[in-house]
Amino acid sequence: MNNLDVISLNIWQIIISLLNLVILFLLFRKFLFEPVKKVIAKRQTEVESVYDKAAKAQDEADELKSSWESKMKTAQDEADKIVKEATEKADRRNEVMLYESREKAESIIRKAKADAERSKADAEEYIRKEIIDVSAAMTEQILAREINMDDHKDLIDGFIDNLDGSV
Amino acid sequence: MTVLLLILSIIPLIAGILIKVLYVPASEGIDISGAHIFFTIDLPLGGLPITESQVNSWLVILSLFFFCLFLTHGLKTKNMSRRQIIAEWIVNTVDNLVKTNMGEFFMGFGPFIAAMLGLSACSSLLTLIGLFPPTSDINVTGGWALLTFILITYYKFKAGPLIYIKSFGDPVPFLAPLNIISEVATPISMAFRHYGNVLSGSIISILIANLLTNVSKMIFGFLPGYLGGFPYLRVGLPAILSIYFDLFSGALQAFIFAMLTMLYVSGGFPEDEYFKRKRIKEAKKKQQVIENTNGGV
Repeated sequence: MNNLDVISLNIWQIIISLLNLVILFLLFRKFLFEPVKKVIAKRQTEVESVYDKAAKAQDEADELKSSWESKMKTAQDEADKIVKEATEKADRRNEVMLYESREKAESIIRKAKADAERSKADAEEYIRKEIIDVSAAMTEQILAREINMDDHKDLIDGFIDNLDGSV
Repeated sequence: MTVLLLILSIIPLIAGILIKVLYVPASEGIDISGAHIFFTIDLPLGGLPITESQVNSWLVILSLFFFCLFLTHGLKTKNMSRRQIIAEWIVNTVDNLVKTNMGEFFMGFGPFIAAMLGLSACSSLLTLIGLFPPTSDINVTGGWALLTFILITYYKFKAGPLIYIKSFGDPVPFLAPLNIISEVATPISMAFRHYGNVLSGSIISILIANLLTNVSKMIFGFLPGYLGGFPYLRVGLPAILSIYFDLFSGALQAFIFAMLTMLYVSGGFPEDEYFKRKRIKEAKKKQQVIENTNGGV
């Protein structure tokens, strides 16, 4: 008999085929499932790390952007402040200068007025003296007699005072 | 390296053809018999005949092993090769199958189901290259069914022997004998279903081939000499039929066998009781630890 019957049970053959299945199961687990799953897991972690990196970069960029924005804002404020201060300073100086120049002008005017008054007074004094002298000489000549200057001083002064009032 | 592994995975199949050509005598006419016996090892319980079904099983395993290596060598995380895509597709498909049919608890069954599918389908498909399909040997499918039965019983026992015994009196206690019979019938029916389908396929193939030979002898018998004896009708027609009987039936039976294994193993597993028992055990352990630390203090 060279062939098995169509239905022939043999316990050893059954055990061998059972073990065959177990062996193939172990082979598949070791050489197909484990490496493939490892690679899938590895790729998963890689993808996640890439996503993490991208999120981190995004965060950093956002942070940088906001810091720049705030810096820009403060710079704008500072510029505004500087301009304002400069304007105020200029205004103040302007006022001071205006005040000073006005003062100066006034003092010049005052001085000029005083000068004018003094020269007027000087002139009056000079004119008065001239008049006294002239009148003294005139009276001397008119009276043709010696006049005692001391006696007649009061008379002359009164005359000049009258002259002053008329002038 | 890649090509070498692919060649290595094909070599077992060529070796199978060579062995068949060299050692198995060609059968004449209608000859329905089991596998050819190469030699017998003396063992108790009837001895161990090394037959075509054993040898072809080993060749299939070798071929699948090298094919695995071919698929999985040089796996990368970027710029995947086509081989890697196939490997990942196989793994993901089988894992999804296990997940939907068995649940998260049985995820370790992925390689087992893949092995069952691969071994069964490839064994049946050996008929395509003219080899004896090991699945048409009752001992081969019987071994697998026995393993399934062991797994079913193992997972039923996981929640304790009491629940295992109780499960036989399930709807009503007096149905226990029927439950025991159906328990035993499960692996037997699985083994016979697979074996019967493949065997009937090859028997029908033989019958049709024989019929076509006779018909072509009748029609073309008038031709002189060797020309008259040539079975013209056997060219082509059996190939079309073998698409159903070998390809479709083989793949379908492999799928059915794996599917039934998954359903029986996960269906027999008393999940609720198992987790309840686990919780109780863990609580006990914790209490013991607390008591020990208290005693130590």
